[in-house]
Amino acid sequence: MKKLLSCLLMLTLSCVVAFSAVACGGGTTTDTKSGEVDQTTGNTIVKIMFHVDEKSTEGLAYKKRIEAFNAAYKDRKIKASATYTARVQGAAGYEAELLNNQVEGTLADIITFDAPNTASYAKSKLLYNISSLVSEDVQKDFYSLNTYDGSIYGLPIQESSAGFFYNKKIFREKGIDVSAYTVDNPWTFEQFNAVCKSLKDAGVTPVDMRLDATKDETATYLLYPFIYAAGGEFTSQDGYTATGYFNSDKTAAGFTFIKNLITNGYTSYAIGPTDFFSGKVGMYLSSGWTIPDLDNKYKEFFANRDDWGLLPYPSSAVAASATGSWSFGITNNHHSDKTAATELLLWLTSVESSDAITAATGMIPARKSVNKNWAEGSPEYTLLKQLETSGKERPVTVAYPTFSTCFNQVIAALGTNDVKTLLNAQADTLQSEMNRLKQK
Amino acid sequence: MAVSALIIAAVFVVIFAVFAVFDVVTGKRTKEKYRIRTALTAYLMLAPAILLAFLFVLLPILYSLGYAFTDYYLLEPDNIKYIGFENFTRAFSEIASGGTLYRALINTVKFVIGVVPLQIGLALLLALFVNKPLFGSKIFKVCFFAPVVISLSVTSFLWLQILSPSRNGLLNSVLGLFGAEPRDWLRDPASAMPCIIILSAWQGCGYQMLIFLSGLSNIQQNLYEAAALDGAGAWHKFTAVTWPGLRSTFVYIIITVFIGACRILTQPMLMTGYMDHTVTLSYYMYQQGYTNRWVGYSSAVALLMTIVIGTITLIQRRVLREKN
Repeated sequence: MKKLLSCLLMLTLSCVVAFSAVACGGGTTTDTKSGEVDQTTGNTIVKIMFHVDEKSTEGLAYKKRIEAFNAAYKDRKIKASATYTARVQGAAGYEAELLNNQVEGTLADIITFDAPNTASYAKSKLLYNISSLVSEDVQKDFYSLNTYDGSIYGLPIQESSAGFFYNKKIFREKGIDVSAYTVDNPWTFEQFNAVCKSLKDAGVTPVDMRLDATKDETATYLLYPFIYAAGGEFTSQDGYTATGYFNSDKTAAGFTFIKNLITNGYTSYAIGPTDFFSGKVGMYLSSGWTIPDLDNKYKEFFANRDDWGLLPYPSSAVAASATGSWSFGITNNHHSDKTAATELLLWLTSVESSDAITAATGMIPARKSVNKNWAEGSPEYTLLKQLETSGKERPVTVAYPTFSTCFNQVIAALGTNDVKTLLNAQADTLQSEMNRLKQK
Repeated sequence: MAVSALIIAAVFVVIFAVFAVFDVVTGKRTKEKYRIRTALTAYLMLAPAILLAFLFVLLPILYSLGYAFTDYYLLEPDNIKYIGFENFTRAFSEIASGGTLYRALINTVKFVIGVVPLQIGLALLLALFVNKPLFGSKIFKVCFFAPVVISLSVTSFLWLQILSPSRNGLLNSVLGLFGAEPRDWLRDPASAMPCIIILSAWQGCGYQMLIFLSGLSNIQQNLYEAAALDGAGAWHKFTAVTWPGLRSTFVYIIITVFIGACRILTQPMLMTGYMDHTVTLSYYMYQQGYTNRWVGYSSAVALLMTIVIGTITLIQRRVLREKN
């Protein structure tokens, strides 16, 4: 019995020691209203969460900017501490981590978030209203801001635009001239169809519309401008009505345009992910992130920029193109004093940071004053010009995740189903979700 | 949340303590020193396992049960309201109206009906095959078991290449040799679920094969010899000796495969995405809970699913036990 009791005592003591060690392990910091303060150095620690892998090109660019911030703010006793969680499909990715932190009350001071999430994050008060923290001059220097209900909740890291990358060698061989189609003089749906027909008649698969990319946000991001271009809408201005918008005749016309590309044999779900890069497809719908790939990989088919070009989105009723990327936002966590977090936010969205980050990612800088130096007619220039003239953001709605799912489901089923039937069914689903969120 | 967890933990500790005290008091009453020591030792040894089971099994179940009656929205963890049976009403009306939950239910039933016999049948065939003392049977054993240890993400990606809708897809190019037109296997509602069933059975059967093998090793060889003396052929040996000998193994396998099949999530998520013809109950719950952030509703569906699976499992056990 004595032995047993002494064992019990030892076990209890071990537990106490272990728990004390855990509790005191990081015991050199104290939590204050402006962030954790390192007791040995006196630094206020601003925690930030990135959505990319630390070793990726983009991750390394963030890392460099964080290191530069820490060097610059050494005397002001502010230190940034970054964590990197790559986005993956499933429950282990960045969004899951973010939501878990929100539930546990351990949100970082600054997070990155995809622009369409602004409404839901702002409504649920996950994001802090930064309208008063960003000067008007700085606000005006951004191509877009993450706004909800008239207030600013985030500043973009970079901007994006998409278009049709085309194989110039194929176009030259087949005698197809598209030089007249520019951002200032965009091609029409009819002209787009005519080019596709010429390619098909010449025995080339005309265009990869990325219809297979419906498992994530890619298809939604690349294809939604066609619906706006046809004069359609997805939701009401307040983002709470889908019926009559998502299934309107004009919206149906936009989806019908995409469906006709399938039925006419101009595109299909079966186009392989590398078919364009191996010279089997004439055009490829994608964003600026494809530019570094075409410049540096696939040299066998695209030796230099004489072999490929970029065309803008075609227009119909109006001109519309894809926009939106990831942004930085300050969270509404338990650190009520946002001074240190604001310093880091403004640093990471400064002209210098914007330049450094987009140099690594190949995307468009979020700030207008970043010196772009892109030659007129270059793919980068085309994307920037298109962003300025026809960029239209995805619908601002708190039900965005459901919108994205509904959009993807329409695209995935478009080839074999009636457009209006599909839209009516998905409009009901989306409306039902909006009603629930409105009541919440 | 931390407070509620502590309250639940306190209740649990009290129940645990009552049992421990009861045992000790009973021991004292009978004045058996040995019994007190035994009871204390037993509870001390049980404590780590019970603590882990409480943290990782009981606590999540209790939370899920509680959330099912709330409007818990993942982005607003501090704004949770009790809404009674509203989540359950919504789930039933979704089923009644033929909504996504109904389709998820039907797809899950289709998957279970397809995968359970196929996976178990394949596992049994493979076990019988590698159980024979043939040259290279150990290599086959390793080969058949290999898919089990490979991540489902990797095998799904592999099958995506096999089932690629392009002419260059492995299956389409093979069928193309016989003049068949390329087919979009995973987007076509008629072929998507069968493809997922085949992939899942292929991926999982190696594990059941091992269990069948251990069952086969317990069957005494003299039974086969006696059957041979009685003039039994291979089929008769199987029906009269092997099958009865494997019956308890079979009961275990059918229950575990059934429960595993009901929880299918990864394969449709990676291979088709959220589509009407492949969405399953677990995928629906994931979509509602994580993507749409309705934890309360997702918990209600999970609770209903647990009740249904639990009931069917109990029926299975009862039926199979009676026959045994």
